[in-house]
Amino acid sequence: MADFNVGLRDAGSVSIVELKGYLDAHTAPELENVFNKLIQENKYKVVVNFDQLNYISSAGLGVFMAYVETMRENNGDIKFANLKENVYNIFDLLGFPLLYEFYQDENEAINKFNELSKS
Amino acid sequence: MDRTDNIGLLRNLSALVDFSNLINSSLDINFILNNILLTCMGKFHTTRAMVVLFDREGMPYINLTKGFINAPEIPEKLNSNDETLDNFMQNCQFAIRKEINSATGTIGLIFLGKKLSGEGYNKTDIEFLGTIINIGATAIENSLTVEELKRVNRELDSKVNQLSSLFDLSKEFSGLLKIETIGKLLAFSLIGQMTVSEFAIVICSGKKYQILETKFDKNKITAFLNNCDAKKINNVIVGRQFKDELTLLNELGVELIVPMQIKGETKGLIMLGERKNRKKYEQTDIEFISSLGSIAIISIENVLLFETALEKQRMEKDLETARTIQKNLLPKYIPKFDTIEIAAFNESAKIVGGDYYDIIQLDNENLLIAIADVSGKGVPASLLMANLQAFIKTICKMKLPLDRATNLINDLIAENTTMGDYVTFFWSVLNMKSKELTYVNAGHNPPFLIREGKINKLKKGGMIIGFLPTTIPYESETIKLQKGDFLILYTDGITEAMDRNNNEYTDEKFENLVAQLKEESPYDAMRIIKESVDNHTKDAEQSDDLTYIVAKVIK
Repeated sequence: MADFNVGLRDAGSVSIVELKGYLDAHTAPELENVFNKLIQENKYKVVVNFDQLNYISSAGLGVFMAYVETMRENNGDIKFANLKENVYNIFDLLGFPLLYEFYQDENEAINKFNELSKS
Repeated sequence: MDRTDNIGLLRNLSALVDFSNLINSSLDINFILNNILLTCMGKFHTTRAMVVLFDREGMPYINLTKGFINAPEIPEKLNSNDETLDNFMQNCQFAIRKEINSATGTIGLIFLGKKLSGEGYNKTDIEFLGTIINIGATAIENSLTVEELKRVNRELDSKVNQLSSLFDLSKEFSGLLKIETIGKLLAFSLIGQMTVSEFAIVICSGKKYQILETKFDKNKITAFLNNCDAKKINNVIVGRQFKDELTLLNELGVELIVPMQIKGETKGLIMLGERKNRKKYEQTDIEFISSLGSIAIISIENVLLFETALEKQRMEKDLETARTIQKNLLPKYIPKFDTIEIAAFNESAKIVGGDYYDIIQLDNENLLIAIADVSGKGVPASLLMANLQAFIKTICKMKLPLDRATNLINDLIAENTTMGDYVTFFWSVLNMKSKELTYVNAGHNPPFLIREGKINKLKKGGMIIGFLPTTIPYESETIKLQKGDFLILYTDGITEAMDRNNNEYTDEKFENLVAQLKEESPYDAMRIIKESVDNHTKDAEQSDDLTYIVAKVIK
């Protein structure tokens, strides 16, 4: 069975979700739990760090679709950072860059949140 | 050759080499076209220029203009109609045009305006333009081929991605999951792959619907399902084709309905809203959704079948318990008496049955022998049988005369049955000292008293019990038995036992058989009857409960 791990840490008011391994139909519920937890704690600003993610399936992508509206309705967002090329290609194929912000680096995404809350 | 001519030629050549190097260094079609136009405009000192490329069908699809404030509209028939072409040139004030040719034919046209100097294009100019276009054509073709390759590659990537999603899910679904989990995974895959946020997944079994997942208004989806027979949706329906009962879905924002089918039968529906990337649902998308739906619905069906099997197993276990309980309601063993010897047989067609018999020693002298057949078979019959058994056990202790006791039992049973249920019932009390047998027959197959090969049928009594409260009291009869008499009580399971062709065993056959009983013990008689019935039914399934009692007066 492919390994998958979700880590969660704070960077100021922004929550960083770190993904590791393989995100597919089998492991998607784990990520779902993390998003549920964030919503319970009223944390709506989320940066997902894909640095150590090797594979994502459409069920994995579905989790982001399922939660992004809640985040946005609460003045937050889900932003993506540090994607490997093969992982980004899957997002790109399905047209995600039109719907989500992608960043080379986690800090860029965090800064984007911080800029917005200042202005 | 003149020296200035040479310099001019050299300059032209070096410009061409530069141009060639530049446009062949890029695969960007816009960069290439831009440079072709700029080179021409620079060389011929013209203020307007245009390049149009045609697709395989000859329709214009890429173009670039320079020197226009508003880019001119390009007529569709530009490539195929000379008149259109001439008019177009005139309208745009182009002075010259030239075809861009590749190995496969004309791939485009280049148009140039008047020279700023007012001079016309001379032979050298046209030759030079030809050279530029020849160099450009190769670069254009290369670039278009690469574009096409990229497009095909992307299409392939997208197919591979869809396939890996399907593979991923089928792997996941192959283990038995909860239906809710399957619904959730299906939903995630759909919204991830199609970038939708509004969707509903519904499964139907029989006339019932279950909404597994929905982001649409649940009440409206329920209203829709109550209004419309989902099982009749056999095809994929896209939003603009919603008619009749389906128009309700337009309100909800449903854009696509895909049925989930097993062997052509609709077992569920996937409803999807607008795609967030503003794309339409293409044929390949619909195929993907259908495949995903098929995988999911098969898994769901498997889970349901598994649950049904489990439920059935539980019920069978319960029934097995009921069978044991019922067995315990019948006599476990039959006591031995000096005057009479008794053997009994009972077998249910189903796991529990509606036949009842009992042999109860009331006191030192009196013995109760009873037999009953409850209408119907299986569980309902067995419940009524248990009820009857309880009443009999209680009433026995009241020491009432048999006819009055029968009135009472009838009233009790009538109170406890619903319309149409009834019991045929025979009971008797044998005084073992006087050998007097008192009996009441309430609509049961008359038991036989067989004396010296002659059958006397015990018919006295009244109507079947449990059908109506007692209005006409039951009557009893008393007969004195003799040594050697056989008493045979039975249910219609014997006389109506069917063979494979639905032929009954018949009363005649049974009477003929038992009339021949003489020296046999009740056990022998029991075996003879069993063999005879078995011989008739052979391997046919037992159609009814089968019960009989053989008693013989031995003293």
